[in-house]
Amino acid sequence: MARNGTVSKRTPPFLWSTFSSIKLTIFLLILVAVTSILGTLIPQQESAMKVVQSLSPSLVGFLDSLHLFDMYHSWWFRLIIGALALNLIVCSLDRFSSTLKRFRFTPSATREKPFENLPSEQRFLLQASFDSVTNHVGTLLKSKYKNVKRVDKEKTAFYFVQKGRLSHFGVYLVHFSVLLILLGGFAGSLFGFEAFVNILEGEGVDTVTLRKTRALKPLPFSVRCDKFSVEFYPNGTPKEYRSDLVFFKDGRIAFQSPLRVNHPITFEGITFYQSSYGTLPGNRVRLSLKREDTGDNAFVEAEINQPFPLPGREGEGLITEIKSDFMRMGPAVRLEIQPVAGEKIQMWVFKNHSMIEERFPGIFEKFPKLNPASFKPYTFFLNGTEARYYTGLQVSRDPGVPLVWTGFVTIIVGLFITFFLSHRMIWIQVSRLEKGVNVALAGTSSKNSVGLSREIGRLIAQIRGTMDDIPSSC
Amino acid sequence: MLNSIILSYITFAYFFSFFFYLLMMVMHKEAFGRLATSITLAGFFGHTFAIVLRWIESYQLGIGRAPLSNLYESLIFFAWTMILLYIIVEWKTKNKSVGAFIAPIAFLTMAYASFSPAISSRIQPLIPALKSNWLIAHVITCFFGYAAFALAFALSMMFLLKKLDSPERKNLFLRIIPDSWLLDELSYQMVVIGFLFLTLGILTGSVWAYSAWGAYWQWDPKETWSLITWLVYAALLHSRMVRGWKGNKLATLSIIGFCCVIFTYLGVNYLPGLHSYAKS
Ligand code: HEM
Repeated sequence: MARNGTVSKRTPPFLWSTFSSIKLTIFLLILVAVTSILGTLIPQQESAMKVVQSLSPSLVGFLDSLHLFDMYHSWWFRLIIGALALNLIVCSLDRFSSTLKRFRFTPSATREKPFENLPSEQRFLLQASFDSVTNHVGTLLKSKYKNVKRVDKEKTAFYFVQKGRLSHFGVYLVHFSVLLILLGGFAGSLFGFEAFVNILEGEGVDTVTLRKTRALKPLPFSVRCDKFSVEFYPNGTPKEYRSDLVFFKDGRIAFQSPLRVNHPITFEGITFYQSSYGTLPGNRVRLSLKREDTGDNAFVEAEINQPFPLPGREGEGLITEIKSDFMRMGPAVRLEIQPVAGEKIQMWVFKNHSMIEERFPGIFEKFPKLNPASFKPYTFFLNGTEARYYTGLQVSRDPGVPLVWTGFVTIIVGLFITFFLSHRMIWIQVSRLEKGVNVALAGTSSKNSVGLSREIGRLIAQIRGTMDDIPSSC
Repeated sequence: MLNSIILSYITFAYFFSFFFYLLMMVMHKEAFGRLATSITLAGFFGHTFAIVLRWIESYQLGIGRAPLSNLYESLIFFAWTMILLYIIVEWKTKNKSVGAFIAPIAFLTMAYASFSPAISSRIQPLIPALKSNWLIAHVITCFFGYAAFALAFALSMMFLLKKLDSPERKNLFLRIIPDSWLLDELSYQMVVIGFLFLTLGILTGSVWAYSAWGAYWQWDPKETWSLITWLVYAALLHSRMVRGWKGNKLATLSIIGFCCVIFTYLGVNYLPGLHSYAKS
């Protein structure tokens, strides 16, 4: 009974013992890997929309109930990541005290255990005085290690040195960095946003559209795009996209700079990325007017919603709509004619007039609304619409990024420490014998025994090398 | 271009080094091993020369960029890093048998780059999204990682093969494969190097994605598969460092890990959705 009592006192609570298990870690790492595969096989988020239509509704319902169309943001995937994080924290806390003990513990200089089964080349005899050898060993060690411990007992001087004790903490730095990166991601999803906006050349905006909800989000400032330009290589591939942006705060210019791909701009914590571009018809069009009676040709530059007089004063024209592609027949404008006397006449005027005529013979005569000759004596032609560039910007704020970047740096430092540094302890015994002075070196290392034997080899060479200069007494 | 002609000849050089490493193992003749090493070294120098030449030629075309930006160039660089790491391993361990396992992988990589009709060796100018020093750092670190994993894979295969060896069985081929403990240790060291570089590769890749698209992680298939690979190797490292697993289990995990590497690199292209790399 009493024995049971002590056991239950020492046994950690169930949760603690579960989460301090490294078996659980390996299981969770594999679980994250395996479940992640699902999300690469099933299209996610927007790409899912296209696929959904070709699947049976019951399958779609099933997949959707498991959140498999957006699995990386689902509660169950987050739960696994959370379990991994908890596992990491509990494990680290669980083992930290024993690591600290290993860090603090300095073994005795007179330990004999490391010298058991010593390879023969690590024990050698020097023909020199005991004092010259200990002096030499002492200065050599002091030049290489921070704390040199020396104990003298009878005929032997015992030395102990160590280095790389901090390497025990490398693992914690790695694990801490993993947590930092996860935390940064979490902070970003809580306090950040991802949005986009298209800005017409010459215009400004002060709201952006959120990617997730498609809701408008006001910015605490406004941005104007003065100019958008694309440069091409001779073979036609784009070389550079560039938007000249101006930021306004309280009505005044606060900052201006060109924005290029791969060179984002951050203003007041909100970052702008050049992500796409396109053209929209502008506000101005060029029309040509042919008179049937005289055969004269006149040209008119018109702006949308600004009436213009017809050349022969028969009335006024007005452009009420500009389409870059109307009914799949290319650019077109809607023209309204208000004759001096009589009813308004409306018609669509196309740019690709002759091409359309060829493809649909008689179409213009059949539909008065499409007939550019429905106001006599003119026939209207659309020569061109002004095209305006717009620039497509990704706009986002992610307050987690500094945490993530810090985690990136520390995980690399931590991995380096964990993999390539080790805690090495070296014991040296220098003993006075009748035949000369015996020197023996032994060491242990937390890992990388090759590095340790190389270090011991160098020490041996340095001890012997100088000592051989001392004339031997035999 | 001259560089891709030279590179297609290098493909055959690696085939011959594979052939002679194999001959050395089957016939047990040192001379074949020395020949194989010479061919490998010559191939490596030619390979290095061709990569530098490609760089110079891109400047002559008025494009001027590091030769690390498309599938062709990445395959060429992958083979180059594999051979480089192998030469170091051969030099450090004084054992040539690993060559019989890694040279064929380098050969296949080069052959795929040079002779697959789907892969263009033309030097194309860079679209704006790919003009980034982070991308260059990303490619270099990823492929050093992949190359180290390829060596770990070769060593793990050798480890499993070595299991078939026994004193009664007088198989010269198996006899010449180094002892299991050495293979295990070497393969572990390769995984360690690979893991460090893969981590660097994923990190530089996300910094690049952040500067190009404004999000350092978007769960696209390529990113996700690189994470899966990372997790598999992390599991391998934990089971070795903490649980002390060795031998068969670890060799198997290392082989699974390398399959993930290959899938991350090539297989992902067959999945729905595109890596940002190809998107723009
Ligand atoms: C995905 C992220 C990771 C998780 C969830 C994780 C989790 C764990 C856990 C729970 C332990 C046991 C507790 C401990 O000893 O502190 C552990 C140990 C260890 N981990 Fe990780 N780890 C991760 C990444 C890494 C990485 C990238 C390395 C790189 C080397 C690493 C190296 C180690 C080492 C060396 C130990 C043994 C520590 C010891 O025995 O004291 N871990 N890991």
